[in-house]
Amino acid sequence: MPTTEKSRKKAPARPAQGGTSATPARPASLRKTSATHSPKASAQAPAKPPARSAGRAPANAPHQPPAPSGAKAPVKSKVQAAVKPADKAPAKAATRQTPAQPRGKKVSGKTPSQVPDKATVKTAAQATTKAVAKKAASAKGEAPKATTPFVAKTPAKPVRKKTPAKVTPAPQTRAQQTSQPSTPTAAPKVVEKVVEKIVEKVVEKVREPSPIPQYPLTYERPDHFHVVNHSRYKLDGMSLVTGAPKFTADIDLPGMLHIKVLGSPHAHARILDIDTSEALKVPGVVAVYTWKDVPRVAHTTAGQGYPEPSPYDTFLLDSKVRFVGDRVAIVAAETPEAAAEGCRKIRVNYHVLEPVFDPTQARRPGAPIIHDEPDCKAPLPIFYDPKHNHCAHVETKVGDVAMGFQEADVVRERTYYSHYAQHCPIEPHVCVSYLDENDRLVLRSSTQVPFHARRITAQTLGIPLRKIRVIKPRIGGGFGAKQEVLLEDVCALVTLRTRRPAKWELTRAEEFMAARTRHPMIITIKAGAKKDGTITALSMKIVSNTGAYGSHALTVVSNCGSKVLPLYKIKTIEFVGDTVYTNLPVAGAYRGYGATQAAFAVESMMDELAEAIGMDAVAFRQMNHIREGETSPIFKALGEGREGVSMVIKSCGLAECITRGMKEIGWAEKRGRGRHAPGPRKRGVGMCCLMQGSSIPEIDMGSVFIKMNEDGSFNMLLGATDLGTGSDTILAQIAAETLGCQHDDIIVYSSDTDFTPFDVGAYASSTTYLSGGAVINAARQVRAQILAVAASMLNEPVDDLTIENRVVYGKGRKNKLTFAQICTFAMYEYHQFQIAAVGSHVTHASPPPFSAHFAEVEVDTETGQVKVLKYVAGVDCGTAINPQLADGQTQGGLLNGISFALTEEYIFDDKGRMLNPNFKHYKIFSTADLPEIVTFLVPTYEPTGPYGAKSVSEICINGPMPAIANAIYDAIGVRLTQPPFTPEKVLAAIKEARTAKK
Amino acid sequence: MKLHLTINGKARTLEIAPNALLLDVLRAAGCKSVKKGCGEGSCGACAVLINGRPRNSCLVFAAQCEGADILTVEGMGTPEHPHPLQEAFIKHGATQCGYCNPGSLIAAKALLDRNPSPTVEDVKEALDGNLCRCTGYVKRIEAVLDAASLGKK
Amino acid sequence: MLKNLTHVHRPSTIEEACALLAAPDCKNIALAGGTYLAESSDTTIQGLVDLSGLDLNFIRETSEGYAIGAMTPVQDIFKSKLLKGATGHLLKAAAGRIGSTLLRHSITAGGNLVSVFPWSDLPPALLALDAEVQIRKGIPKRTVPVATLLEKTPREFLDKSELVTEIHVPAYGATTGTSFTKFAKTANDYSLITVAIRITVLQGLIRDVRIALSGCTKKPVRRPEAEALLKGQTPTPERLANAAARAAQNLDLTNDFRASKEYRSEILPVLIRRGIEDALRQIAA
Repeated sequence: MPTTEKSRKKAPARPAQGGTSATPARPASLRKTSATHSPKASAQAPAKPPARSAGRAPANAPHQPPAPSGAKAPVKSKVQAAVKPADKAPAKAATRQTPAQPRGKKVSGKTPSQVPDKATVKTAAQATTKAVAKKAASAKGEAPKATTPFVAKTPAKPVRKKTPAKVTPAPQTRAQQTSQPSTPTAAPKVVEKVVEKIVEKVVEKVREPSPIPQYPLTYERPDHFHVVNHSRYKLDGMSLVTGAPKFTADIDLPGMLHIKVLGSPHAHARILDIDTSEALKVPGVVAVYTWKDVPRVAHTTAGQGYPEPSPYDTFLLDSKVRFVGDRVAIVAAETPEAAAEGCRKIRVNYHVLEPVFDPTQARRPGAPIIHDEPDCKAPLPIFYDPKHNHCAHVETKVGDVAMGFQEADVVRERTYYSHYAQHCPIEPHVCVSYLDENDRLVLRSSTQVPFHARRITAQTLGIPLRKIRVIKPRIGGGFGAKQEVLLEDVCALVTLRTRRPAKWELTRAEEFMAARTRHPMIITIKAGAKKDGTITALSMKIVSNTGAYGSHALTVVSNCGSKVLPLYKIKTIEFVGDTVYTNLPVAGAYRGYGATQAAFAVESMMDELAEAIGMDAVAFRQMNHIREGETSPIFKALGEGREGVSMVIKSCGLAECITRGMKEIGWAEKRGRGRHAPGPRKRGVGMCCLMQGSSIPEIDMGSVFIKMNEDGSFNMLLGATDLGTGSDTILAQIAAETLGCQHDDIIVYSSDTDFTPFDVGAYASSTTYLSGGAVINAARQVRAQILAVAASMLNEPVDDLTIENRVVYGKGRKNKLTFAQICTFAMYEYHQFQIAAVGSHVTHASPPPFSAHFAEVEVDTETGQVKVLKYVAGVDCGTAINPQLADGQTQGGLLNGISFALTEEYIFDDKGRMLNPNFKHYKIFSTADLPEIVTFLVPTYEPTGPYGAKSVSEICINGPMPAIANAIYDAIGVRLTQPPFTPEKVLAAIKEARTAKK
Repeated sequence: MKLHLTINGKARTLEIAPNALLLDVLRAAGCKSVKKGCGEGSCGACAVLINGRPRNSCLVFAAQCEGADILTVEGMGTPEHPHPLQEAFIKHGATQCGYCNPGSLIAAKALLDRNPSPTVEDVKEALDGNLCRCTGYVKRIEAVLDAASLGKK
Repeated sequence: MLKNLTHVHRPSTIEEACALLAAPDCKNIALAGGTYLAESSDTTIQGLVDLSGLDLNFIRETSEGYAIGAMTPVQDIFKSKLLKGATGHLLKAAAGRIGSTLLRHSITAGGNLVSVFPWSDLPPALLALDAEVQIRKGIPKRTVPVATLLEKTPREFLDKSELVTEIHVPAYGATTGTSFTKFAKTANDYSLITVAIRITVLQGLIRDVRIALSGCTKKPVRRPEAEALLKGQTPTPERLANAAARAAQNLDLTNDFRASKEYRSEILPVLIRRGIEDALRQIAA
């Protein structure tokens, strides 16, 4: 399976087009069936009346209105016969997928003739799609026969798989019975006409593919934005500022146990024996589990799509510990104090092993092997060599680098070091587990990846996925830390074993030591340029330290290239990334995801090159940065655990980010001047350019379900995960824009694996771009249904209708209907159905947002203290769906980046113990440290993004390290390579530079 | 031991352990807005007003609050009648994940109670104990200044 | 967590409080702001004596200067309108650099002094100001220079049943300048080096000077040798630099994960020199 990963993932995109027009998802209006919402019911329903309408596959859309689709062969042929006996193959194909218009059938007693016509019209289109489908299928490596599902005469099994539901015959009788009495006020004839119209329009407009949706490749730019691109208030804002109990830990459950996990005091040791007898005697301790008591399933905690590009090297509990803080034993007790006391009473006999902390030592022969267990493995056929602590490897080449360096007039080489740092969400990881009234396991967790959490927990405990429900309530920040399945398995274990609710909440110290960190890296970069400014070659070699487990080991290091190198036109490139295991805290996903580390090296190098050829640092970048209509071979070369997706830049506002930023910081007046000012305090300005991505193309999927209520509001159930970013609000704005209402007409419920459709979760800068696309797909269908109903109610063609703020207007605004009226009609009046739809989306590109950052600093040359005086960031995130929230993302990310650059760091002793696992000594900035911050958005329109949007959340954290380092260089002529730029390090660098000069 | 105090205007008598911290006691008493972020007085997510003073409830023994008047965000305003600061936080986008909001709103209220016309520097100083990882503080400061200007009108 | 805590006492008089602290059969500890004890895991502590009912929250003018109640939150010192002049400047500067606003509302003047940590901000300022503390043991009281209190640790100096109740700080005239420097990674970080300076200049000559340090040493210290170098001299840049260099010598500087000894020794003279310069500028202003 892994080998076919690519094709497997890619495959749906193609046939989608074939399938799209083939199988209409039709509103249930057409039938009145009591079983439409239950897949089982529809599947089991006896085919009493001749099946005309198909209960649409609810398997992938439990709430979606059933729509006719692939019916059983006999049914189909019957339909066909009834419809158009003489039809040829194409028509057959059509009927297979658009079997009898159930609507037509129901009403058909009255107007049978229209329906067949429609079917034939559709088939014409399908004839061509068939070819496409065939092509796609053969590309997939399947026998052409497999494509026969698209032909009616072989209603093969695969068809049914994709359009799962068996047909539920429409209880016509009921429809007919109800048709008259349901509109007692209207004259029967009028009613009939209205109904006819509904039939027509609904069938026409709501026709949608069913099994495989089609993902639009581009979104047309509207003349005017009504809801998006406006700073609407955050939907959950009021509840948050009034302190509503909506976070994970804000619920009290009767009999809830408190979990504490004993952490290893050693960086590397084998557990020879564990004695839990004393712990079990502690009053209040209910259970203690060690590695002997739990299933041993190799897995990864990385919350990534399946199969994960991270190695399976983690176990619920193991007989070996690999870093200080690694899990040793689980204690569940009546109180947190008893759990802590229980941990203290566990006696562990360790055989302490030699640890390895230095990533450059880790791969040397004779180094201690951290993962010597036989059962660790990579789930994908990718490089994995744990016996040499070599966790991941990636490399790519563009052109001949050696030639490139030869061609260069100047060549510079330097090694940059990026350090251990933590996300520091103010809410630490927390999970509450319980069994619900149906004995299913509920995990209420502060997670960014509820669906992955469900899958990985099921895998780790060896329990069926269907037994688990994961709910993400409001969560107190994540930044990547919560894209990790860290607590759920333990909570699940305790609850399943004790049958009691349980809570595990990390302390701040545990959060630092045992949660996840940013991958520290050693980046050696060499680059060459010609005097005219052409960059002829760039070589980047990275050693990434993943700590004791390989969470995101490959993908973070890949991103060092893929999210940084395409920014400039570089003639030849060599990129090598190696991730190694050490006995230090585990790295994972952290906002920026490799781009943060690499941007520091690359953007420092850009300044070095510019200086070497005597060009202004800005002018050099302006000359070389990528522009609209251009591409980079890196897009294709580096993906996530496999080849990437090539793309052409369709929107780029970087040029304006740069010019406006220059003005804001006063580049022309300040650059190069501060160094010569009198006194010990020198000022300087520096800048950098940045890009990131928007989603992981052709890998990640998001989906959304929207249904309409009779007051004109909508429930929107999102798989997407709002971790505090405001994505619920932004996605509601996108829905409102599409539907023609206000964002607070959308009632958002997100991230509940039982109730919301699938979404990969909040990572890879994907929510707006990816899930936003799914919202549009769902909302368009719903809008079409609204218009179809309105058209029949108004007796006007759909094309004449317009929607404006919850009102549908007829031609010339003579007639109008409110959303409430329309939905009420659809629900209660006649040929009722639920206006609703599911939309999914997969992206085919990952368009980069662009940004230019500028910093002005003051360096105290007598103490080494660096003060950021002013920081400017301009961002092109395409259309900002909510400019205020986008701006907030930028400000929050860049301040995080500034304190990462200046103060945040892990300090270890020689045993691998973190000395500062608290906010007292791990310093993140407060308001008292805040420099003047200027942020601005440069609007562009990204045609592949929803309403032109790209991502915004990650890019902003990448700038401060290089911008500040470049500013420091401007101020004092010293190039810093080892952040954080603490006073001590800066002073040491100044002294070193002085000695070197002498 | 018994503890008598007023929480958000309501007189309460609570049974507490002598070593209980105010943070835990308030959460157990239903004030879930009081958040635990660090348990060491560094993040300010647990800040409440104790007799008008904004303090980290994680570093206060509940027993120290005999007879005290406690205000948490639940007592500052409701969705129907929000405090101007709460409205300003929403209006200015000062709330992202919102976990730190209760503590920072309390600190901001303490500031405006003492100084109805704060400068930017005053706000930075008054909120210096309330860490926020989401917003970068800029919008929070704008919100407090805006609420102050509304208060004057 | 104070695991074995069984009682929290709330005395209403100093006598009562001292009697509770004196209890022979029970380890009772004075509770001021609580920021230290709330985090403590000292299992020997059985009782806390809450001092908040003793009316020790005040700042008063006295004939010599100011009296500050031991239970006065340092935020009140920072925001005091009563404290003025060189004394007020130094006290406010020091109090304002303690922790964060939220912590300053909890931390008390007495607590910051008696539970002195290497990085405590108020003690070096009190040293530089020649402050004294009033100590009560029930009715009896004694007054002791802060310098004496800090010779060992205040807890060692004080008898079990003694309480620091007030801090007395002299006021200095317009010929005196003060400065407070806290060098740290961020505004709320613990001090790596703290320098508190008081300097009096009359007719161009330095009449009196105090250089007090903390953060870089185990406890707050004064630098009398360096002070002597300046006394009676005109404040030339050279002299200031020399005195600063001397002040930085012969110290057992802290070497920890927050900063190396070498680094501290390198920037200490710079910070002292700048501190003196700042204090002199105060006079000029």
